[in-house]
Amino acid sequence: MEKATSTSCPSTPRWNVDRPFLTGRFHQETKGTSRLADTKGFSMDVFSHGLERPIGYYNAAVQELIVIDDLLSAMVGIEGRYISIRRVRGQEDHISFQVDASMDLAIQELAKRMFPLCKSYLLIDQFVESRSQFKNGLVNHAFAAALKALLLDYQAMVAQLEHQFRLGRLSIQGLWFYCQPVMGSMQALSIVIQKASANNFTGSSVLNLLQSQAKAMAGDNAVRSLLEKMTQCASNAYLSILERWVYEGVIDDPYGEFFIAENKSLQKESLTQDYDAKYWRQRYSLKEGIPSFLANIAGTILTTGKYLNVMRECGHNVQVPASENYKLMIFGSNHHYLECIKAAYDFASGELLNLIKEKYDLMGKLRSIKHYLLLDQGDFLVHFMDIARDELTKKFDEISVEKLQSLLDLALRTTAAAVDPCHEDLTCCVERFSLLKRLSTLKDLEVRTVSDDNDLAEPLNITGLETFSLSYKVEWPLSIVISRKALAKYQLIFRFLFRCKHVDRQLCGAWQVHQGVRALNMRGTAISRSSLICRSMLKFINSLLHYLTFEVLEPNWHAMHNRLQTAKSIDEVIQYHDLFLDKCLRECLLLLPELLKKVERLQSLCLQYAAATQWLISSSISIPKLEEHSKSSRPSRMLTMTTENASVTDSILKFEREFNAELQSLGPILSNSSQAEPYLTHLAQWILGVGHDQ
Amino acid sequence: MPREIITLQVGQCGNQIGMEFWKQLCLEHGINKDGILEDFATQGGDRKDVFFYQADDQHYIPRALLIDLEPRVINGIQNSEYRNLYNHENIFVSDHGGGAGNNWASGYHQGKGVEEDIMDMIDREADGSDSLEGFVLCHSIAGGTGSGMGSYLLETLNDRYSKKLVQTYSVFPNQMETSDVVVQPYNSLLTLKRLTLNADCVVVLDNTALNRIAVERLHLSTPTFAQTNSLVSTVMSASTTTLRYPGYMNNDLVGLLASLIPTPRCHFLMTGYTPLTVERQANVIRKTTVLDVMRRLLQTKNIMVSSYARTKEASQAKYISILNIIQGEVDPTQVHESLQRIRERKLVNFIEWGPASIQVALSRKSPYVQTAHRVSGLMLASHTSIRHLFSKCLSQYEKLRKKQAFLDNYRKFPMFADNDLSEFDESRDIIESLVDEYKACESPDYIKWGMEDPNNLLTEEGNAKGTADPKLAI
Repeated sequence: MEKATSTSCPSTPRWNVDRPFLTGRFHQETKGTSRLADTKGFSMDVFSHGLERPIGYYNAAVQELIVIDDLLSAMVGIEGRYISIRRVRGQEDHISFQVDASMDLAIQELAKRMFPLCKSYLLIDQFVESRSQFKNGLVNHAFAAALKALLLDYQAMVAQLEHQFRLGRLSIQGLWFYCQPVMGSMQALSIVIQKASANNFTGSSVLNLLQSQAKAMAGDNAVRSLLEKMTQCASNAYLSILERWVYEGVIDDPYGEFFIAENKSLQKESLTQDYDAKYWRQRYSLKEGIPSFLANIAGTILTTGKYLNVMRECGHNVQVPASENYKLMIFGSNHHYLECIKAAYDFASGELLNLIKEKYDLMGKLRSIKHYLLLDQGDFLVHFMDIARDELTKKFDEISVEKLQSLLDLALRTTAAAVDPCHEDLTCCVERFSLLKRLSTLKDLEVRTVSDDNDLAEPLNITGLETFSLSYKVEWPLSIVISRKALAKYQLIFRFLFRCKHVDRQLCGAWQVHQGVRALNMRGTAISRSSLICRSMLKFINSLLHYLTFEVLEPNWHAMHNRLQTAKSIDEVIQYHDLFLDKCLRECLLLLPELLKKVERLQSLCLQYAAATQWLISSSISIPKLEEHSKSSRPSRMLTMTTENASVTDSILKFEREFNAELQSLGPILSNSSQAEPYLTHLAQWILGVGHDQ
Repeated sequence: MPREIITLQVGQCGNQIGMEFWKQLCLEHGINKDGILEDFATQGGDRKDVFFYQADDQHYIPRALLIDLEPRVINGIQNSEYRNLYNHENIFVSDHGGGAGNNWASGYHQGKGVEEDIMDMIDREADGSDSLEGFVLCHSIAGGTGSGMGSYLLETLNDRYSKKLVQTYSVFPNQMETSDVVVQPYNSLLTLKRLTLNADCVVVLDNTALNRIAVERLHLSTPTFAQTNSLVSTVMSASTTTLRYPGYMNNDLVGLLASLIPTPRCHFLMTGYTPLTVERQANVIRKTTVLDVMRRLLQTKNIMVSSYARTKEASQAKYISILNIIQGEVDPTQVHESLQRIRERKLVNFIEWGPASIQVALSRKSPYVQTAHRVSGLMLASHTSIRHLFSKCLSQYEKLRKKQAFLDNYRKFPMFADNDLSEFDESRDIIESLVDEYKACESPDYIKWGMEDPNNLLTEEGNAKGTADPKLAI
């Protein structure tokens, strides 16, 4: 019985145990103590009432009167003169009644029939006493109280019988007759309590026991309704705990009976760092021992209180509007309580959703993240890349994040982002790894494993351009939705887009270099060849960007946005948001390292080409340029490029060859994988153009 | 305030369309006639600073220079309700006010004369911007000021701001009616040379086509200048939406142009716009879906350059690149479907020597301009059929030149002094080679075009892999 209950439980005062007179067990106890000398440890209570003669000495009529008197005592747990109670020490429920063997056999037989009732009374009484102690928890207390009330009725009945007996109207048969109805009930109860005390049940298991017992006794109407009544009484306390949880989000559970556990070590602030969002998923959890009648709805109950808690953490003391109708009660099988819980859930989730959407402006935040991390409003990035160029081309360990941050702030302030109040939450970070490497470190993203690990060796000259990323400050309670993990996914997409944008920028620079020599007649020269490569590369990177933004991000965002409008609970919101991110990650090729490597290879070719352009162009026109200056007012069209510079032509053609070969090799990969990933067909159409037939 | 663009409006036509352009921009950004932001227009999200800057009293001033050699149009602007919008220091009217007499040489020569004044103004504007992206020139190529002085400015800008982009909105004369400017072919030719050599991008606005569109599409029997100019301003403002309403891509001019312009010289763009409306005209409201808009943009009747091509040639004509700027409430999932449909129906004839596809930019619509239709679209395209426009210019020039007509007016100016008409010949050659280049673009072998170098260095290499290389198909 000595269960390790929660420390908060007050202990039963010593005097309650020391002074058995208070508990009604004094009779047995005093005898027990008086028999302590008995070394056997058995209470061999054999007619120790001294002067009494064996009952057989009296005639049957007198015997009957004596036995009735004794039985009436035994029914309230007191030994009579010829009826003794034997119990095994230490085993409280081993109680047996014995009668004087000399008793008239007929009476003896009748009296013995009464014994189970007496025994039940004793057991129940004993149970009531022991369960009323603090440590047994509210459900036991309530159950004990209900039993006590029942016992009072029973005692009143015994008193009435005794009255009848005193008036001489009660025969032993009469007693047997009157006891008949209670007998079944008492016995059923004693079975229950025996089970309960044998297993030391507390809390929900008591309720479960009562309910299953009631169901098992379905044939016996009286017993069943009694047990149901007991269930109801016993669950009252439990339901009030439940009520506080689903209506206020408070766990008021001093004895640890409730089925929801709170892990106080998880703080809400951890959401912004914890990759697994433990706070949201594990702060409150279901324990063992859910009452069976709540088993189906336990999840709903958990989330209801969780939502209410979130709102309380936000400083909103929200309470589910209480009305008589919402009083949680178990009215048999009409499932009123289920409706109540459902209503509370609807209220809580509605309120929380409203709070997060309206007061904390979830959509605004998401939109702002989309502006910056998905480059939906990319003008700030153009400016940022303009002003941060020098810083970003440094090696990643030489970059000053503070400087980048101030440049970023500057870029944000001077572009369309300036009017967005959320832009201040945007921060810079420089990571240690390139995108591919970073992807391989995120195991839970189901990145398709790459066989050649040595490829992942980080190049030493990795610069800020490869490692730069943006981050976004998300405060409670929005961090529930935009968790660390979600942000990490946004960052992956951003880094890929950033890379593409960088390549695009460099190629635009190369394009401008070509524009600069427009005045020269370059028909059939290496430059015109070069300008076509530049075009192909631009086309590639533009198509890739188009695919990423208009085929992947924008439609998926649109779909998510619509779903969020109709979402009914915050969990749905989280789910839709996560779905969106996962879909974007997958369709942005970030989960396909093989493809991503190809793209990366193409990008680096583009970058190499862009870096070489200036040299290629200037070295192929160096001589004419001088001439051009000499008569600048009239650039002569007679100037032709020197094609003698074979190395220039060679390298231009080499770029062309390599780029086209890489691009072509992308085709089969795309079409092979497009079976499993249909969106790759779209990408193929973009990158490989219209002429590309599937 | 990064990536600013300075607009130069030169000549009568340039100032007229420029005026309309600024009107439209003011409307779209909620800026009133005095440059003050309307109360309802504070929600932001747009980039006013690309085209405007703010004075000390916060009112918005266009980054625009109004330049003309005669005062009529500019006086008109200065007396209009928009007189307070412009920076008065940015208005240049020649002292004598006599104009250029529709003579390119006069405009060019006068341009040289006032170079210092104008470059001062340009430098001041350029210094006032954080990172100037480039210049936009509005002019017509037929008259004297816009064409002559515009040409001079193009050369000077190219020299002085070689790192900056120069985009022009060039109005080509109406070829259907006999013009009052008889020397128009000369002016056009000489200007075209500068447009070819000194501009990064030329948006061709063909008055012939604009008139046709006004008559056929808008059912105006005799379209006025104001009406065709409003078409121009619609195109101009729409082509700058991605700069003014930032989106995923094309947020800077260079990105926008680089994706459209294949080779340095083939930088002439055609435009199409739908649905077209003219002020105060109750237009039939049409259903506008992305597909409808994209489809209509490909129809020649909506394109603002007339096609002088004969049928056979027209069928050879190919798109080199297309950018559709779609504005309005668009369900992004429709974009892919529409492109797919267009692809299936083979509505676009693309060049065969390289990858090409329709690019789409989704852009917000100004919340302050109410339109009856949900979606509107602008097409910017590089199309080889534009060569026919140049051929037409060339043939008209040849006709005039053969007669040696009106050349005296040109000989008065230093460039053509001593009967030195080599400038004409040179211009003619350049336009001809431009036409050739566009023509070569129509062939699948464009990559090898003109590779007849003696060493056979390029062609050999090219042949070795030329078979697999251009189409990029598997």
